[in-house]
Amino acid sequence: MRDLDVRGLSCPAPVVSVKKELEAGGGGLRVLLDDGAPRENVTRFAKGRGYAVQEEPLEGGFALTLTGGAAGDAGGAGGAGGAGGAALPQAGARCGAVLLISSDRMGDGPEELGRLLMRNFIMTLLEVPELPDRIFFINTGVLLAAAGSEVAEALESLGNRGVEVLSCGICLDFFKKKESLAAGGVTNMFSIAESLLGARSVVRL
Amino acid sequence: MVREGDYVAIFNSIHRVMEAERLLKERRLSILLIPAPRALAADCGLAIRYSEAARGEVEAALAGAGLLPRELYRRQGEDYTKVEEEL
Repeated sequence: MRDLDVRGLSCPAPVVSVKKELEAGGGGLRVLLDDGAPRENVTRFAKGRGYAVQEEPLEGGFALTLTGGAAGDAGGAGGAGGAGGAALPQAGARCGAVLLISSDRMGDGPEELGRLLMRNFIMTLLEVPELPDRIFFINTGVLLAAAGSEVAEALESLGNRGVEVLSCGICLDFFKKKESLAAGGVTNMFSIAESLLGARSVVRL
Repeated sequence: MVREGDYVAIFNSIHRVMEAERLLKERRLSILLIPAPRALAADCGLAIRYSEAARGEVEAALAGAGLLPRELYRRQGEDYTKVEEEL
C-alpha cells in the first residue's frame, strides 16, 4: 500500500495527483488529504473508477484508502493537469480518449451560434458518464479556458473529476492570455503531439 | 452547473433564449446559459440559470422585454420543482 500526501493542495491538484498515482499501478493507495472539496472530489473520482474507498479521520484531514479499481487504469495516462500553473504531461504519456478543441466555436455557420454550441457541449460533458482523459485547447480554443470564459466553471469541475484540461502555451501567448488562464494548465506541442498519437481515440472539434 | 436553490428558466426557442441571454448580460446580471437539465426536456436544449438573489432583477428585465420564459424551475435536492406562480 503506497501513501500519497496531497494535504495543502487546492483542487484539482489532489485528483490529478491521485489519478497519476493510480495509473502508475501497483495495488492500493492511501491518500492523505484535506477535508472539504479535496475529500469529496477524490472520493467521487475514485468511486467513478470503480475503487472501494475507506475513510479514516486524521488530525487536520482524512486518509482515504483506495482499493480495487478498473482494470484499465494501470499503465494509462501519466500526465499532469495543472492547478492553475504550468503543467506538462509526461513525454510519451499514453491515454484513452482525448478531445482536441481547436476553436471557441462548434461547427461552421453563424459565429454566435457556434460559440453557444461549444459552450453547451463543454457544459454537457459534465452530464455524460464517460469522460475524456484529456482535453487540449489550441488556437482560439484556448479562449475557452481563459479568464472571462463562461465555461471556466465547467472546466474546473471536469478537472475535479480527473480530466486533464490543458491549453497550448503558444496560443495563450498569441492571444495575450498567458497570465489569465482560468482553468487547467499549460502545455506544449511536443506533449500535444505525443498524446494525440498515443491516444486510444481522438475527437477533434 | 445548477446549485441548490438556483432557478432554471426554459424558453420556447433558441432565438428567445439567446435574446434573453443578451439582454441580461447587457444589464450585467449574474446569469449563465446552460444545457437544459435532462429532466426538464427543453425543446432548444438550453436554459438560463440564476440565483435567488438575482431573481427579481432577472425576471423584471425579461418581463420588460416580453421575454418571460415558458417555464421556470427551482433546484431542490436532486429534483427540479416547477415554479407555478405568475411571472
